[in-house]
Amino acid sequence: MLADEPTLARLMHAMQQGDKAAANVLLSESGLWLERYFRRRVPPHHIDDLVQEVLIALHAKRATWDPSRPFLPWLAAIARYRWVDHLRRSYRQQAGELFDDSASTDSEEDVVLARVSLDRLFAHLPARQAEAIELVKIGGLSIEEASRASGQSESLIKVNIHRGLKKLAALVEKAE
Amino acid sequence: MSDTPARAALIASLVDNTAPVRRVHPAEGAALIALATLAAALGMIALFDFWRGIISGEASPFFWITNGLLLLLGAASTAALVAGALPRVGARPNAPAWTLAMLGVLPLAALIQIAKAPDIHVHTGLADPHSWHCLWSALGAAVVVGAAAVLFLRHGAPVAISRQAWLTGLAAGSLGSLAFGMTCPLDGIAHLGIWHVAPVPLAALAARLIVPPLIRW
Repeated sequence: MLADEPTLARLMHAMQQGDKAAANVLLSESGLWLERYFRRRVPPHHIDDLVQEVLIALHAKRATWDPSRPFLPWLAAIARYRWVDHLRRSYRQQAGELFDDSASTDSEEDVVLARVSLDRLFAHLPARQAEAIELVKIGGLSIEEASRASGQSESLIKVNIHRGLKKLAALVEKAE
Repeated sequence: MSDTPARAALIASLVDNTAPVRRVHPAEGAALIALATLAAALGMIALFDFWRGIISGEASPFFWITNGLLLLLGAASTAALVAGALPRVGARPNAPAWTLAMLGVLPLAALIQIAKAPDIHVHTGLADPHSWHCLWSALGAAVVVGAAAVLFLRHGAPVAISRQAWLTGLAAGSLGSLAFGMTCPLDGIAHLGIWHVAPVPLAALAARLIVPPLIRW
């Protein structure tokens, strides 16, 4: 069972004062909380990496928690910041692959990652951008195949994927 | 999923490095920015001399309105900036946007004055060296204030990087212009409304481009 907010806040306060036992419990409990937080946001094999990133950030930035405020919203803000950073890195990697014309050689893992990261946000995109991303980044078609399947020119497919992914990253970053 | 071996090792290492920390207080950030503004103002006065018309009562109402609004925008931006240096979720203050809108009335009034009554304003042209001097000096003072803001943000943990960059620019531009304003004897609306307000959007745009990589963590 996860520790409750007042317990976590007490542990964090003790950790700020250098209490190592409290730090041990807090980091372990926060790890469990973060697992649940990321479970609905990233593919399973990325969860542990993100949890560890946030735990490092929690430790490095522990001086920025105000004991008069609740702990979990503070942790959630850091988790969200790291998640957006993760999406931005994914976007840059995918955009780089796109303009290297290597999109058709995406591994299955990349395709799954793209679907999990982007699927929930597709409703916010114009239909042609969503279609281009769906065909190339999720369906695994090449630019040429996607162009034939959608009736969009190859340049338009590239532009729509680029703009669509950029918009998705911006949407996630703005979302509270 | 429970603690993986890698995570357990990481936690052990973090616990080992746990030592008491001094908390980051937003009030200290506000004090740092206020001190930087004071230092910038003293620097400007040392370079260009204090305008004695401010204390002799010679300064026009436009002088007080312009610098008062710059002070308000600087205070609102600073308050939002130092609050945003700590990770948090939820509503964010929009006072900076409202005070910026209030300040935006001044250039509008200045442009109307210049268009309809150009004869009574002597320092309005783009070729006027006094006006460019005001702009560059205010931006110079803004760099001092902006550096203090960035220093504090690096000490904290901002999670809305773009917003913090805009706020840094707004605070730096408004407080920098206010700091220089203590030395400028040109107190007509046509001069103040353009040349003392222009540093604000310019600093905001510059900060939006320059600050994010400096405060990302």
